[in-house]
Amino acid sequence: MLSPGYVARRVLHALVVLAVVAVVTFFIVRLAPGGPAALADPALRDAERAVIEARLGLNDPLPIQFLKFVGNAVRGDLGQSFLFGTPTTQVIASRLGNTLILAGAALTLTLLVAVPLGTLSGLRPHSWLDRIVSFVSVVVLAVPVFWLGLILIIALAVLRPVLPAGGMYTTGMEGNLLDLLRHLLLPAVVLASASIAELLRYTRSSVRSAAKLDHVRTARAKGLPQRTVHVRHVLKNALIPVVTVIGLQLPRLVGGAAVTETIFAWPGMGRLSVEAALGRDYPLILGVTLVVAAAVVLFNLLIDLVYPLIDPRIRTDG
Amino acid sequence: MKRTLMTLGLALAGGLAGAQSNILQLPLINDPILNPLIAPDLGSILVNKVLFPGLVRPDENLQPVPDLAKSWTVTNGGLVYTFALRDDVRWHDGKPFTADDVVYTFKTAADPKSGSRLASDFSSIKSVEARGKYTVRFTLSRPFAPFLILLGHNAGILPKHLLDGKDLNANTAFNRQLPIGTGPFKVSRVVPGASVTLEVNKDYYGAAPKLAGITFKVVPDLNTQVAQLRSGQLDWVTLEPSNLASVQNVPNIAIKQANAVQHFLVFFNLKNPLFTAPKVREAMQYAVNRKAIIDGILKGYADYPTGTIPTALRTYYDKSIKPITYNPAQALKLLAQAGWKPNARGTLVNSKGEPFKFTLIVDKGNATREQSALAVQQDLKKIGMDVTLQTLEFGTLVRDYLIPGKYDANLIWWTTPPDPDQYSFYATGQDNNEAAWSNARADSLLRRGRETVDPVARKNIYNAYQRLTMQDPPVLVLYYPKELQAISKDLTGVPDLGIRDALRYTERFQLR
Repeated sequence: MLSPGYVARRVLHALVVLAVVAVVTFFIVRLAPGGPAALADPALRDAERAVIEARLGLNDPLPIQFLKFVGNAVRGDLGQSFLFGTPTTQVIASRLGNTLILAGAALTLTLLVAVPLGTLSGLRPHSWLDRIVSFVSVVVLAVPVFWLGLILIIALAVLRPVLPAGGMYTTGMEGNLLDLLRHLLLPAVVLASASIAELLRYTRSSVRSAAKLDHVRTARAKGLPQRTVHVRHVLKNALIPVVTVIGLQLPRLVGGAAVTETIFAWPGMGRLSVEAALGRDYPLILGVTLVVAAAVVLFNLLIDLVYPLIDPRIRTDG
Repeated sequence: MKRTLMTLGLALAGGLAGAQSNILQLPLINDPILNPLIAPDLGSILVNKVLFPGLVRPDENLQPVPDLAKSWTVTNGGLVYTFALRDDVRWHDGKPFTADDVVYTFKTAADPKSGSRLASDFSSIKSVEARGKYTVRFTLSRPFAPFLILLGHNAGILPKHLLDGKDLNANTAFNRQLPIGTGPFKVSRVVPGASVTLEVNKDYYGAAPKLAGITFKVVPDLNTQVAQLRSGQLDWVTLEPSNLASVQNVPNIAIKQANAVQHFLVFFNLKNPLFTAPKVREAMQYAVNRKAIIDGILKGYADYPTGTIPTALRTYYDKSIKPITYNPAQALKLLAQAGWKPNARGTLVNSKGEPFKFTLIVDKGNATREQSALAVQQDLKKIGMDVTLQTLEFGTLVRDYLIPGKYDANLIWWTTPPDPDQYSFYATGQDNNEAAWSNARADSLLRRGRETVDPVARKNIYNAYQRLTMQDPPVLVLYYPKELQAISKDLTGVPDLGIRDALRYTERFQLR
């Protein structure tokens, strides 16, 4: 049973983490070398440079800039993006949905492939299936994402043009579900590849450990059918820690899709974070970091809250 | 269930059907700012060239020809320009275009406080006024020969009725979603992070466009751009020489090269005593094998340099000037005259035994520039210079090293309007003269060059300047690059220009 005190503590903890992330990110990006892309043109004259700096609010001392940022942030205003000239929250909102589509597809693929294959592998260690699955997952983990992406583009979009090489929709077909699915397939496979390999290996070892537990042996000794033993005793125990791993992978799908989104020209958060970093768009870097941090914190919070429900051994009232 | 899956599979694999035909597809690397006065990057400039015509546009010789202006006269010794405007032009929202729009545009463009990025281009404007509904008069504070060229460069005309009194940068609806210009195409849809779609402007004042539309697609990765070009999702990609192999011998793609008004160079910080003597900088011209860089790294897609005026400026470039070719022995001779001789270990040292040691910086991530910098370092090492190569992210290089003058040498480039005026880059004390080069004769030539309207006299001035920079080189010019274009063979009607100038003529483009 979840106690209200436990939930309140976890929520408070989450808010503190977010505040710390904001402060640390603010100072790291400001103290990093270089400056906003708006100022990176070497042909700018000093007077023009000064006007741009003033417009971007960069001529105040750093502590003042920080106080202004905090003041606005508590009111939900993360400032104006330097690159887009629109409120940071608006820019992020316009991309977050696209990333959730991609991340959702990648997560679905991950779950559909990794959990069943990992379970089968774990239940039949050293079988031919287990060997193939282990080998492929190690290879996939070792392959860089950008390379895999480009190889798939060359194979399936250039040499045998069955799928589009990038983008989210064919121009003029925005909103068409089938067109979206065609564009989604390659990036989702690439984004999911590492997660599949990781989760698969984790599921496999979790299932193997669970299969060795005393009560599973007892169940077997009682003569319960193999199937019942697997489903009721092995899987139930094995999949609880797997939930944690899935939870930890979610924020990576939301924020860490930078390479995949860039290669596939997918207009999401990952690419936005690259644009923001390259353009030294301070408000946008902060905004994107906060959203990703919020996702991490939120998923962790959800896991913490869900865990006691699926595993009653975990007590929350202590 | 099986049948549904099969249908879905077939539909997914259904090729690229559904894409509309006769629509030109061009890449961008990020979302553009749809306002020519504040456009900060090449992608934005490209879209704006289509949406916002200027008073003039460049012809294939890069000389200005009429666009929104029908004709013009230059009087008072080059101080007064009077333009007769077309009277048949409408903005994309249907409102008529008048002289007031031109006045608004240039008053704003010339005002640095407005946030305009063209303020320095038009700082010579003393006043601009409407003399009737379709006549505009510019009065300059000093004769300024590049004026007409600059009018045809990035200075698209903006609608006064929509922007007057508003902050240029804050007007996001106009700048991001719904720009209103007078060009042959108008924006029909902007999908953030994905595309800007243009449709035909039926009220266009010139010849009716032949394309059904233009789509600028945001494709940040150059490899993906090439893949999309090959799969027919893009029609025109500008490339780096290192990408050439992936588009050569592809049936439907032609490789074209266009003249770029650019010179790639190594700045030497002349505040550093190492480089003060012109002999040292002259020696560098002999010490670096520029032909090897052009042939090896640029695959031949560049011209061999003679001074800072690129070959693309055909009218002003003096072909008769003999280039300085690779000759390390000559470099060592000149360096000896400047007091630098190799010691027993082959290191170049001065009379006190101090080595000729410096750091060359270059921006990270561009193979052509990184390899060129490496070639420069290796060549200078061969004559005994101790050169450290440092790569930096471009913004850092500019802001933390170049602008404050905290560097020894720096490989970079200048892209200039199609005019030989280089006053702001190489005249004493100018903001863009980051090398801090100073030569009284060059100052005088550069000043006269921008004030002389007569083309013949002007050519003589720049020829003299070009010769001067061979003896007292302000920088080490490495090459004049060509713009490399991989272009669908179905696309015709494109003038023989670089992509940014060619996009002033999209009404002539045609897709087979």
